[in-house]
Amino acid sequence: MEPAVVISNLEVLFFGKAVLKDIHLSLWPGRITVLVGPSGSGKSTLLRAINRLNEFFPDCQTRGSVSLHLQNQYHGDIYQNTIPLSDLRRRVGMVFQTPAVLPFSIEKNITMPLQVTVGLTGSALTERMTRALQEVALWDEVKDRLKSSANTLSGGQQQRLCLARVLALEPQILLLDEPTASLDYKSAARIESLLLNLKERYTILAISHSLSQTRRIADRVCVLRQGQLIQEMDRNDMADIRTFQGLMEAAF
Amino acid sequence: MNRISDRILVGLTWLSGIGMCMVVTGLLLFLIFHGIRQITPALFFGDTPWLKAITGQSPVFDGIWPAVTGTVLLVFLSSAIAVPVGVASGIYLAAYASSRQRAFWGSMVDLLSGTPSIVMGLFGFTMILFLRKTVNPTAQTGLFLAAVCIALLILPYLIRTSQAAIAGISTHLRLIGPAAGFSKWQNIRHVLLPLASRGILSGIILAVGRASEDTAVILLTGVVAQTGIPRNIWDKFEALPFRIYYLAAEHRNATELEQGFAVALVLLFLTGFLFAIAFLLNRYAENRWRIRRYQ
Repeated sequence: MEPAVVISNLEVLFFGKAVLKDIHLSLWPGRITVLVGPSGSGKSTLLRAINRLNEFFPDCQTRGSVSLHLQNQYHGDIYQNTIPLSDLRRRVGMVFQTPAVLPFSIEKNITMPLQVTVGLTGSALTERMTRALQEVALWDEVKDRLKSSANTLSGGQQQRLCLARVLALEPQILLLDEPTASLDYKSAARIESLLLNLKERYTILAISHSLSQTRRIADRVCVLRQGQLIQEMDRNDMADIRTFQGLMEAAF
Repeated sequence: MNRISDRILVGLTWLSGIGMCMVVTGLLLFLIFHGIRQITPALFFGDTPWLKAITGQSPVFDGIWPAVTGTVLLVFLSSAIAVPVGVASGIYLAAYASSRQRAFWGSMVDLLSGTPSIVMGLFGFTMILFLRKTVNPTAQTGLFLAAVCIALLILPYLIRTSQAAIAGISTHLRLIGPAAGFSKWQNIRHVLLPLASRGILSGIILAVGRASEDTAVILLTGVVAQTGIPRNIWDKFEALPFRIYYLAAEHRNATELEQGFAVALVLLFLTGFLFAIAFLLNRYAENRWRIRRYQ
């Protein structure tokens, strides 16, 4: 099988200082790759290099290449303008650490981006919203109060709403920046099981600070330190908890 | 030691809060005490029947009705000019300008906000003199010129509050749009402006208050003591703050002075009424932004 993302020789600089250097990484569909590493090691920057969101921040330079291979659609380096930016960011969905819901109604949190970027209206829009909410198992909880403010949802529900907003745009790659960091145990477990269900259909790259969570969801773990990928582990390395902990401690 | 200074500070903040409330209440009571007796139909319409005055069938000579309309027109006209320009400048400063441009244009805005209103008035007046000598020998001061000069005066409030409201939106809310594929303008239009609307409204309220009370600008740009309701936007006009000034400075008896207080009360309520309109408009817009999905 072909990888969906091939990163080679990637270097990202902010204000002339390298935050990531010499990154080579491939991501395959149907697998969850988890990035771990100390704070400030460049994990979020690596995620944002894949949807060019680093450019949102001042004085950022990116070198090297990030090639996408999306189903019969795009092949090529995203930094060579082979893909329009707005298409790229819809194809590569991103969920953040803090549940970032807009202070709009639950419904509008999902429909507004669809209307603005895809131009969906009417029943197609309703259908897409319903499907996204069902996919994240939120539909039954909110179907009777779609017009109330998204701020009235609990943290876990808000994060699932964010995930639904991303899924509604029909991405093929998901970037998850510590999606459960601000949630309680139960809500986190819920998101984890969702991710395990979704992984068949998406290429997922996630950041996690929890080693136990990493063991539960990861097919592959990449350790980042001071802007460089220093180690990769697969399921076999994680099978034994002691070996895994030893490997992680050595890495940090 | 720390506890004592803490307590003193708490006491002082309480005192300031209470003091402010007392000053406002005192001011209101003072105005009401001196002016309430003069708040009569005659104050507004003089000898003219009110229905005829409001429908414009017969002119009002002795009342403040033309001044009320003059002030309302002036506020709407100057807001119509300044609000779009001010909010757009705020958007530019908060979302598009580089930090160097922001510092430069920001200091220009501060300079504008530090300009005394009489200077704005002089600017308008000189402009008319210039027009007379060049393209239009019949140019004269009037409602439109006053509105333009007032717009210049209130522009800094609008720019600074819009800028602050947009810049104050947290990064994680700002990133939602771009991460979903929004262009910069789409993000501003669909996320940043709705989230900043409350802050922008507070700027509009400040601006409306300032536009309705300023006397120095209109003094040089077209206000007169008695002219009736302006027939068009180039016409001379009356205004409440000027009427207050005129009554206070030139009153011939106690009743006229009391009328001055009464007009001040009217101006206060008129501004309150304009605030209420701004507030309701914002709430309507917010409801649309927050709940409605476009069909």
